[in-house]
Amino acid sequence: MVAAFALNVEDMREASAPAPGGRFFALFDANALIAAIARSGDRAAFVALFDHFAPRVKGLLMRGGTPAELAEEIAQETLLTVWRKAALFDPAKANASTWIATIARNRRIDIARREARSRLSQVYEILDEDGPEQPDETISGAERDARIRAAMTGLSADQYRVVELAFLEEFSHQDVAQRLAIPLGTVKSRLRLALSHLRGKLEDLR
Amino acid sequence: MSIAHRPSDETLAAFAGGRLDEGLALAVAAHVELNSESRRLVHELEAVQGALLDRIEPVAMSTGALDRIEQHPASRHPTEPRVVEPGMPAVLLPYAFGPWRPIGIRIAMRRVEVPGSQARVFMLRAGPGIALPHHKHTGFEWTTILSGAYEHEYGRYAAGDFDEADAEHDHTPRVDPVEGCTCLVAMTGNVLFQGWLGRLLQPLVRL
Repeated sequence: MVAAFALNVEDMREASAPAPGGRFFALFDANALIAAIARSGDRAAFVALFDHFAPRVKGLLMRGGTPAELAEEIAQETLLTVWRKAALFDPAKANASTWIATIARNRRIDIARREARSRLSQVYEILDEDGPEQPDETISGAERDARIRAAMTGLSADQYRVVELAFLEEFSHQDVAQRLAIPLGTVKSRLRLALSHLRGKLEDLR
Repeated sequence: MSIAHRPSDETLAAFAGGRLDEGLALAVAAHVELNSESRRLVHELEAVQGALLDRIEPVAMSTGALDRIEQHPASRHPTEPRVVEPGMPAVLLPYAFGPWRPIGIRIAMRRVEVPGSQARVFMLRAGPGIALPHHKHTGFEWTTILSGAYEHEYGRYAAGDFDEADAEHDHTPRVDPVEGCTCLVAMTGNVLFQGWLGRLLQPLVRL
């Protein structure tokens, strides 16, 4: 897992995008790409962003058990939302991956629960627009995101898998237990351990 | 005052992942709106998902980037100002409500319509000093206290607190003798009441 992470970071560094139209992005800088879309509807920037993130959104959804076709549709809608809402992205609040992951979550809810006329994505949007989280907040969202990445490299492969499923699977520890073929109590205790590990790391950093 | 009661880490992780039943998620959302510590944790858990996204194995798309954006100009979305009823969390705004309905002396409830949820969601308002009936659950009963307070075997719950009760808990809540209590409740499964007040609550929980 740690190795996979390192590899992906390298991918991001190497994915310098010589964009059609004469622009050139020396590094894959998602913030700059989103800013370019917000500023001038830069289509080359959108293509670079799409090529990087859409296959990852699709991969993440499929890891959570979403069928490929549906995952593809949600990934499309996610990047379409990125295109339309680029001006609302605030790099001080969260990094691009986090912002896009929350958009993917909301679009997944809209699409997966469309027959139930779910309004849950609006609930998340209301919470997101709500004021500052802590008046005494000393670190920026982007800094926090970087620290969380660091903290996650300290998870064992087992812990990483359980954390992944905690976010990606419908809320049922029983399902996770069956999937990993381990007892339910073990799932709960591993999840608590993994989350408290993360929490401990984050509290050290506060 | 009381120690803040907050959802378990697992519950907040499922909430941040968008993986909770909508009614249960709404009870958590009302708490998150009112509690800055939980709001911070949700943002951290969202950042965990950002990290998962960076580490995941990409799966090739079969459709291209520009297929859809032609019809959609990049645009600003000014958010309309929301009008929030006093004492009502903003996260409830997307939903329709029933009227306040008395279900006993100095107890009233108001349904929140959450289509597609397995949970019954309602606001409950109880006057000062009222004891709610002793009850057990077969599912979840998740409560966010919107104003006032109540107290039961597991502690005192004041405005903004979250009470995450499941089948392992049975309790007899007593409403604050001065302030009364208004809360948002999401409930799955059945509630097993003891006593006369339970019968009054029957229409509410569809026993």
